[in-house]
Amino acid sequence: MSTYNYVVTAHKPTNVTHSCVGNFTSPQELNLIIAKCTRIEIHLLTAQGLQPMLDVPIYGRIATLELFRPHGETQDLLFIATERYKFCVLQWDPEAGEVITRAMGDVSDRIGRPTDNGQIGIIDPDCRLIGLHLYDGLFKVIPFDNKGQLKEAFNIRLEELQVLDIKFLYGCPKPTIVVLYQDNKDARHVKTYEVALKDKDFIEGPWSQNNLDNGADLLIPVPPPLCGVLIIGEETIVYCSASAFKAIPIRPAITRSYGRVDADGSRYLLGDHNGLLHLLVITHEKEKVTGLKIELLGETSIASTISYLDNAFVYVGSSYGDSQLIKLNLQPDAKGSYVEALERYVNLGPIVDFCVVDLERQGQGQVVTCSGAFKDGSLRIVRNGIGINEQASVELQGIKGMWSLRSATDDPFDTFLVVSFISETRILAMNIEDELEETEIEGFSSQVQTLFCHDAVYDQLVQVTSSSVRLVSSTSRELRNEWKAPPGYSVNVATANSTQVLLAAGGGHLVYLEIGDGILNEVKHAQLEYDVSCLDINPIGGNSSYSSLAAVGMWTDISVRIFSLPDLNLVTKEHLGGEIIPRSVLLCTFEGISYLLCALGDGHLLNFLLNLTTGQLTDRKKVSLGTQPITLRTFSSKSTTHVFAASDRPTVIYSSNKKLLYSNVNLKEVSHMCPFNSAAFPDSLAIAKEGELTIGTIDDIQKLHIRSIPLGEHARRICHQEQSRTFALCSVKYNQSSAEDTEMHIIRLLDDQTFEFISSYSLDQFEYGCSILSCSFSDDNNVYYCVGTAYVMPEENEPSKGRILVFLVEDGKLQLVAEKETKGAVYSLNAFNGKLLAAINQKIQLYKWMLRDDGTRELQSECGHHGHILALYVQTRGDFIVVGDLMKSISLLIYKHEEGAIEERARDYNANWMTAVEILDDDIYLGAENNFNLFTVRKNSEGATDEERSRLEVVGEYHLGEFVNRFRHGSLVMRMPDSDVGQIPTCIFGTVNGVIGVVASLPQDQYSFLDKLQSNLRKVIKGVGGLSHEQWRSYSSEKKTADAKNFLDGDLIESFLDLSRSKMEEVSKAMTVPVEELMKRVEELTRLH
Amino acid sequence: MAGSSSSSAPPSQSPASGASKFLANLPNRGLLSSSTVYSTNPGGMRVYICEHDTSPPEDQLIKTNQTNILIRSLVLKKRKVDSNLKDGKAVSVAESSRKRAPERTLEGRTSSKRGVSNTHSQPEGSRSRAPEKDLQSLTVERLRAILREKGLSAKGKKDELIARLRAANG
Repeated sequence: MSTYNYVVTAHKPTNVTHSCVGNFTSPQELNLIIAKCTRIEIHLLTAQGLQPMLDVPIYGRIATLELFRPHGETQDLLFIATERYKFCVLQWDPEAGEVITRAMGDVSDRIGRPTDNGQIGIIDPDCRLIGLHLYDGLFKVIPFDNKGQLKEAFNIRLEELQVLDIKFLYGCPKPTIVVLYQDNKDARHVKTYEVALKDKDFIEGPWSQNNLDNGADLLIPVPPPLCGVLIIGEETIVYCSASAFKAIPIRPAITRSYGRVDADGSRYLLGDHNGLLHLLVITHEKEKVTGLKIELLGETSIASTISYLDNAFVYVGSSYGDSQLIKLNLQPDAKGSYVEALERYVNLGPIVDFCVVDLERQGQGQVVTCSGAFKDGSLRIVRNGIGINEQASVELQGIKGMWSLRSATDDPFDTFLVVSFISETRILAMNIEDELEETEIEGFSSQVQTLFCHDAVYDQLVQVTSSSVRLVSSTSRELRNEWKAPPGYSVNVATANSTQVLLAAGGGHLVYLEIGDGILNEVKHAQLEYDVSCLDINPIGGNSSYSSLAAVGMWTDISVRIFSLPDLNLVTKEHLGGEIIPRSVLLCTFEGISYLLCALGDGHLLNFLLNLTTGQLTDRKKVSLGTQPITLRTFSSKSTTHVFAASDRPTVIYSSNKKLLYSNVNLKEVSHMCPFNSAAFPDSLAIAKEGELTIGTIDDIQKLHIRSIPLGEHARRICHQEQSRTFALCSVKYNQSSAEDTEMHIIRLLDDQTFEFISSYSLDQFEYGCSILSCSFSDDNNVYYCVGTAYVMPEENEPSKGRILVFLVEDGKLQLVAEKETKGAVYSLNAFNGKLLAAINQKIQLYKWMLRDDGTRELQSECGHHGHILALYVQTRGDFIVVGDLMKSISLLIYKHEEGAIEERARDYNANWMTAVEILDDDIYLGAENNFNLFTVRKNSEGATDEERSRLEVVGEYHLGEFVNRFRHGSLVMRMPDSDVGQIPTCIFGTVNGVIGVVASLPQDQYSFLDKLQSNLRKVIKGVGGLSHEQWRSYSSEKKTADAKNFLDGDLIESFLDLSRSKMEEVSKAMTVPVEELMKRVEELTRLH
Repeated sequence: MAGSSSSSAPPSQSPASGASKFLANLPNRGLLSSSTVYSTNPGGMRVYICEHDTSPPEDQLIKTNQTNILIRSLVLKKRKVDSNLKDGKAVSVAESSRKRAPERTLEGRTSSKRGVSNTHSQPEGSRSRAPEKDLQSLTVERLRAILREKGLSAKGKKDELIARLRAANG
């Protein structure tokens, strides 16, 4: 039973809704504060750039965010109001590094109609009051006293009911608001009111302006000395004040956001709905406004917020694409743009649809999302991967190998980085200024390619080239000894550890040397029947400087062999099968278990368990890591050893619960990697990729890695087809080049490896793609793409016509094989018992796939079920059909085979407006609705009466605070079948804010344990701004508010791991469970995502 | 439009044209001055865990004044009228019994400006002495109801009803 659910965020919200700049963390420091719906991020502006400081979770959806400074304060305070009518004023305590609550409160009213145009929260520039417009016809005032403390709030009646924007005017003796509103004839006007604080009422303001641009939507108050307000319309921009009125026409555009550039308010940046950035200039002579000027600067992401930072740097926050850091250049570039994008901050929102696939067949799911909107639409491939944080990089072409060396055997840090090229070897070292510069090791041969390098005992270094092995002192850097390959032989591959060298020369010669103090001894020579392709003598036994086994990969017979050392006796020979030679072998130990890893030339990796005493190889496993040859190297991070597999899809191999796990690295292609633990870059890796040498640190394992595929159009539905290895999309292309904005709906076929469009099918005019499915039918071996569409006519409220299109992928092309007209929009398609189940307006319709006499196929209607308002979301399991209705919550239908009919079995009688449904198991169904709540309902099969059986009982309720667009079964992590976590069924969801989350169904005993932990954590972890976690997670709609039940907040529970030790102990005492046990159980949960 | 000219004109020919002249002297406080602005790793931000008490100072838990805005506006209007009266020209007329006449005239003046909202306050003082004009404005049904309340006959034409009512009110 999936009654008990655990909800956790795998990817935090990235949709930037608000941003502001001010002195928040200290009077001297300038901060950029960014709101991402339920989180705020505090950044610090430094001479070097934007430095991230803190990510603060807020128990609420942020409706307004403002920085302000009351009289007598030296630094700014942060005002936040949430959508559920809470507000708080936050202050930064620089000494403690904490966020303090200065004030908070509930600003809800018992009666009142929530505003249609969003909540407005504004602060008087002279800090006399905070103004809130939350309900139609009401303006709430929270006055300040003269010490900057807030006083009791009160409401003022606002005559204007359709308010579009309210702002405070600057430079007014009494606090004055300017209201942009629409009257009942749809004309737009502005009006000013003075707020009489004593009388708690409005007084008619100094001026008003009627009949503005019909698209006027935004007010920008202009600071002194100019004062007044800018009214931004779709076709004109107006400057208005008591004494002046100036207007200019603009190219038609909807301005979404603005950012003030100058403190005197003479320049503004405006961002429109197409992502164009304009500069608006108020020209003035002294304090008299003479006119307005507008200039196009260039293109950015579609901005939802713009903050001018400093020195021509601007932060552009976006809801529809990646947020950006841009620079405004004085001179335009070749394309005439003054905008230079310096940095992109990934934003997955809005996730409209996604699918879970396992493209590499590694058993690890990845999510492919339809993200962004309009021109910023993209696909995002989200998978659990490991990030490399670049710290330095140099351009270097043609790297053939890399090794780090220490200047003394007992030096904890690496000093040298040996980089080998086709005909030379260069040595880089850290100089005194901690910069990487070229140096020399005199004893090394630098005119040839280095095959291998290693630190050796007695402060020595070993270099292997094709002709010799050189032993060099690491202190004097002079050659101490050299072993020369016999004439006519050249060394092809070599490996070494601190006391041993193993090398292979052409003709199958294998030579084993041991390293002494200033001497290289050739100990053994063996003649093999074939050439050697790779070697390894990584010491994994008890002795950390001596290996008693050698792994050898062979050409010709495609085998890997284990030899004993020092006598070079063959212990084991394992044929790999196939025709691909091993390119890299590695002996390694994870969690006390020894493995032999063997990487092939085609990107596959084999792993064997290795018995160290007998040298036997068992438990062979094969995974695909990429398509190019792999080079394996060990490295350590946080004192644990991992293996880095360099290839076209670089991967980190690690172990958890004695299982090998593979995690992608967020780099495109890596040819070589070596650990480089220098004093300046501790715990770093040197990575050779695409003509570049990078030094970086590696992230924690299990972080999500996101790859972006910009589409330039808005993908709205996605599905994957295993058989044709393709994705299909329903996508919208917006055309802005013509005078009118037009849109074109297209079905796209993409290769699932390259993500290139390989075929397209344009839909008719007015035809929208609504649903897409890959499925097969009974009596037909082909796998088809089915697409459901709707003709959206401007004069119709609901579409009355649509189509179901059936495509076959042939030679990488979409071939239309059948089409069926429907009497409405096809909102959902599901494969159902070898048939096709479609949700068409208020109806559920089942289609058979029939063979016609002429050999072609067609969809034939079999049966249907009426009785929905709009059946938007459908999921099926066996013969059961779960329908999420536009406004009638969830209902359960059943298909009866004998009668060939669909009947309603049960329904939830609540009036929930659904946004997504999923079937968790036979009896429990999960729904998301448009007040950002999740709920579960249960089928009541054991009910005594028909009445009881026909009712879906609500068993779980939870406020997620996110608008869920899609649920899908699956997991982002490699499932370990033998661990507890591996048994937990999970479901992934994607939201408008770009959140990817996981709903995990827990066993009851684990749920009760975690429920107790959650309530104890609530006492220890406090909501920022005094906001309550319990209230935040309580189910909330217009009709009711109820405590969360049968859902747990995984984000709160997992923050246990970030608590200080003393607080952990406090929780542990309350739970009467040891801290270690708690940590272990919570850590296990973090592996769910 | 200015925007289009800047994008179409080759930038080399008119270096000072377009947005360039407006982009000069952008505010600069010396921050972000380095030529290379380093990466901010979006995932690498420290997550704030709030372990201290976050409830606000006692007097800073803000609540909303529960007075109904309609009542408040009535009280306000009353007070305004009172103060107008004090400041106004009717200086020495302080007796409450004679207050009504100037009050009504004052209200009459404002109501021509603000129409609807003032009719709310009208009935307060003058319900019992509804003038003829008000009686005229009532419907026959209403007049009959009032008459019945007073135990009078409710028969006849509207004028008769009004006359009867006025007689009863004295």
